[in-house]
This record gives sequence, C-alpha cells and structure tokens, in this order.
Amino acid sequence: MRKYIETVKILFKSQLAYRFDIIMNIVLTVSKMLLAYVLWSAVFETQDIVAGFTLNSMMSYYIISSFIAQLDQATGTGWRIAEDIRNGRFSKYIIKPMDIFGYFTAHTAGVSLFLLIFNLLAAILWVLIFGVELIMTNDVLMILQTVVLILLGLLFMVQLSYFIGILAFKVLDVTVFMLVKDNIAEFVKGSLIPLTLLSPAIIGVMKLFPFYYVTYLPTMLLLGRNGDEALQGIVILVLWIVLFRFINSFTFKRLRHRYDGVGI
Amino acid sequence: MSIKRNLKIMYMLMKMKLQRNMAYRLSFFGVCFADGSLFLMQILMFSAIYSQVGSIGGWNKHQMLFFIGTFSLLNALNMALYFFGVISIPHKIKSGELDLYVTKPVNTLFHLSFENIDIGSVPLVFASIGIVIYAAAGMDTRVTVLTVIGYIFLILIMLVLYYDMEVILRTFPFFVIQSASIERFEEGLLSLCMRIPGILFKGAFKVLFYLVLPYGIMATIPTQFFSGILSPAGFIYSVAVVVVFTVFTIAFWKFGLKNYKSTGS
Repeated sequence: MRKYIETVKILFKSQLAYRFDIIMNIVLTVSKMLLAYVLWSAVFETQDIVAGFTLNSMMSYYIISSFIAQLDQATGTGWRIAEDIRNGRFSKYIIKPMDIFGYFTAHTAGVSLFLLIFNLLAAILWVLIFGVELIMTNDVLMILQTVVLILLGLLFMVQLSYFIGILAFKVLDVTVFMLVKDNIAEFVKGSLIPLTLLSPAIIGVMKLFPFYYVTYLPTMLLLGRNGDEALQGIVILVLWIVLFRFINSFTFKRLRHRYDGVGI
Repeated sequence: MSIKRNLKIMYMLMKMKLQRNMAYRLSFFGVCFADGSLFLMQILMFSAIYSQVGSIGGWNKHQMLFFIGTFSLLNALNMALYFFGVISIPHKIKSGELDLYVTKPVNTLFHLSFENIDIGSVPLVFASIGIVIYAAAGMDTRVTVLTVIGYIFLILIMLVLYYDMEVILRTFPFFVIQSASIERFEEGLLSLCMRIPGILFKGAFKVLFYLVLPYGIMATIPTQFFSGILSPAGFIYSVAVVVVFTVFTIAFWKFGLKNYKSTGS
C-alpha cells in the first residue's frame, strides 16, 4: 500500500510543474458555468420552478456538479495508457513491482487530489461571480454518503478509462472510443442537465448503470435531495467496480501479448 | 490563382489523404462517431428541457433543433474540409515543417488548410441535413426557394467565418511559443456557442459573441433567417462581420508569415 501512497504523493507534487495548465483548465470551466447561467436564466424567465429547481438551486446544482466532475481525471489516464502502448513505452509499467491498474489508480488519485484544492477555489469564485446563494445540506450522514459515492464513482471512471486505454493493445487508436465515452458520459452523469428532467422510465434504466451515481446523485445529496437513493447507489457502484475488475484483468491478460515494447 | 487550379489541387490533396486514411479503417469514420454522439447528447439535453418548458428565449423546440442541426452541419463541413489541416499549423510553425510549404508553388495557407480533407466526416454532413429537414418540417415557416437559397448562402459564409476564427487563433504561434491555451480557449468558447443560440446572450456577452469572437452568430443567424425572424439589418450585419474577419485573417496570416523564423533551410 505504501508504494501506491508514494505514487499519489509524487503525482501530487509533479502537478506543481503544470500550474498554468491547471489554472487554465479550471478557468475554462467558466464556459460550463456560463452555459448554465445563460441557458437557465432564459428558461426561468417564463416560470419560477422547473422540475423542482429554482434558478438559484439550479445554479447550485451546476457549481457542485462541476466541482465533482472536475475531480474525475481518469480520461487523461486513459489517453496516457493508450499513447504509451502505441509508442511502445508501456514496458515501464510492466516492469514496475506494482499492480498496473493500482499504479494508474494512484496516478489519477494524485492528480485529482491536487485539483481538489483548485476546484474548491473555482467553486467559490463561481458562487461569487454568479451571485448564487449556494444550497448545501448540513446532514452529516448525507455528506458522508456523498464522499463514499464520489470515491467509488472516481474509481469506476478510472476502471472505464483503463479499459479503453488497454484496448490500444488491439486497435492502436482508441481516440474514437475515448471521445464517444466522454460525450455520452457527460450527459448520463448529469453534467449537462440534472437527470431529474428526464422521464421516470429513462431514469429507472439509468439507475441500473453506474454513471447516475458518479456525479448526479452526489450532487443531489449535497443539495439535500434523493437521500433514499444513497445506499442503493453505493451497492450498484460496488457491483460495477467488481465486474469491471474482472473485465479489465481478463482483457489485459488476453491482449497484452500483442504488445511490442521499444528499446527492450 | 484560378479557382479551377485550386479545385484541382484540392482534389489531389483529397486523393492523397484518402489513401493515407485507408490504412486506419476504424479511425476513418471516427470523427463522425465522436461528433455525432456530441450532437446527439445536445438533442437529448434540449428534449429534456423542452419537456418542462414551452420556449427558451422565444424559440420553440423545433427552432432549437434546427439550430443544433445547423451547428452540426457547420461543424461537419468544417471537419470534412479544413479542420484537420488548420489544427496542424501550430505544430508546423514550431517544428519548422512550414519550410516545406512556403517553398511550394501553391498558396501556403490554402495548401495547409486543405491537405487533410476528412471524408469520414461526410456522413455527419448528411445526418445534420437530416436533422435540419426534420426540424424544418415541424416549424411554422413557409419554406420558399428563396429561403433555401438564403440559408445555403448563410451556411457558406458562416463556414468562411468558422475558418477565419480557426486560422486567426492558429496564427498566434508565429509570435508565441506556447499556444495550447489558445486552442483550449477556442474549445471552451465553441462548446458554449454550439450548445446555446446567440439570442440568449445579453449585454457584454452579446458584444463578445456577436462582435469580438462571433461564434454566437454562426448557427444562430441561419436559423433566424430560416425561421423568418432575421431582420435585413441582421442579414447585412452577418455578411459584414464575415467580410471584416476574412480580410483581417488574410492580413494577419501574411503578417505572421513574415515573422516566421525558419529552422535553417
């Protein structure tokens, strides 16, 4: 376990070398906040409540969900895996005395942990800029459940990106998979709109999949809503994580012999 | 340089690109899948919002769908024609590869822009036209030949504006070393303006997205024209913006090229 913690620490520190990039990334989340503000201001011109949200609670939703979504840095890890496989540099992970997936999980955790501080600052900035009276629950149990869901959700997203990344053993260019995954995930995680706007039948189906619990449910819990779904969310996420653990280890074992290292 | 010669060069570049692309069959329609999924999610997003409200900023569901289809069409044409050529410019400036282009007897910008024509994006063009036709069928507008011609004309000039914006941002590497932030900046603005129509912007944002960085008019103006709600002044304004930005793009590119520091050739 200590070597994974060391990896987290190293990645955390190495992020300091890319301060400008990190700040730019966070500043650019303003486009997401601006989208929400412009769009929902127009929607709320004609009515005060939409799907149980006021303009203020809607903006609170976007600030919180944007904060949680920014913590998910798994896509970068997936790109790195695919690129290293394609360029023959994946050997450096194979020879490490660590579980490869464990290493990439620690790698992503280090980046996310670093971003946590900046994202928090960004969230405070958006609250001030858009004049939002941030709505947040003070129920300790709900906050704890949210933390558990966020951690499980992040782990699942790492697994998914890892899976797509190692597909590079077979197809070399995984750009399409990665982009399509990102586009679909943004919607089904509730980053574009609160999923409560969808029909109950669609929500029912979404609850069987993990994405509902990655960003949307934690955000709703922090808003003090959907408290009855927290336990169900934890159970479903754990089941998906276990399933993907098998899928990833099976896929890795099947495909790794196709890999050609460079300089070995 | 004559139009006939330019078209001949474009055809040759397309043929060469097609041969290269065939080596990576899965990636061939990659852009189509990736951007198709993006616009599909956008349609789902607005369908969900319109299930709760009747109109957004005075636009009904079909007008919004028409807007999404129009942006998707512009984006698909951009991808098919010049996107992959234009995005390679910063790298070629930094690496000195531009040397090879400036010495050829073809307009440098033209060659760079159209050497990476992407046939794989063409299905997305047809899918976007499908969305536009479906949305138009649900609109109250009386469609005449003039409406269709005007719409096509606006699409073509907005395609030029899209190109201008892409080239302007990729001319900066002539003057600065690091340009990744500029590209991310463009990505942020585009993702904002392709998701919401320009009519929703007010005050300073309206000035920003209608005049300074006119991403906000690209799909909004053609949609307003087709819906019959674009004033003659709005039409003239959009043409003027395109003319001004095109003149500026050419001048800025030439200025950048003069500042190009070759790598030793």
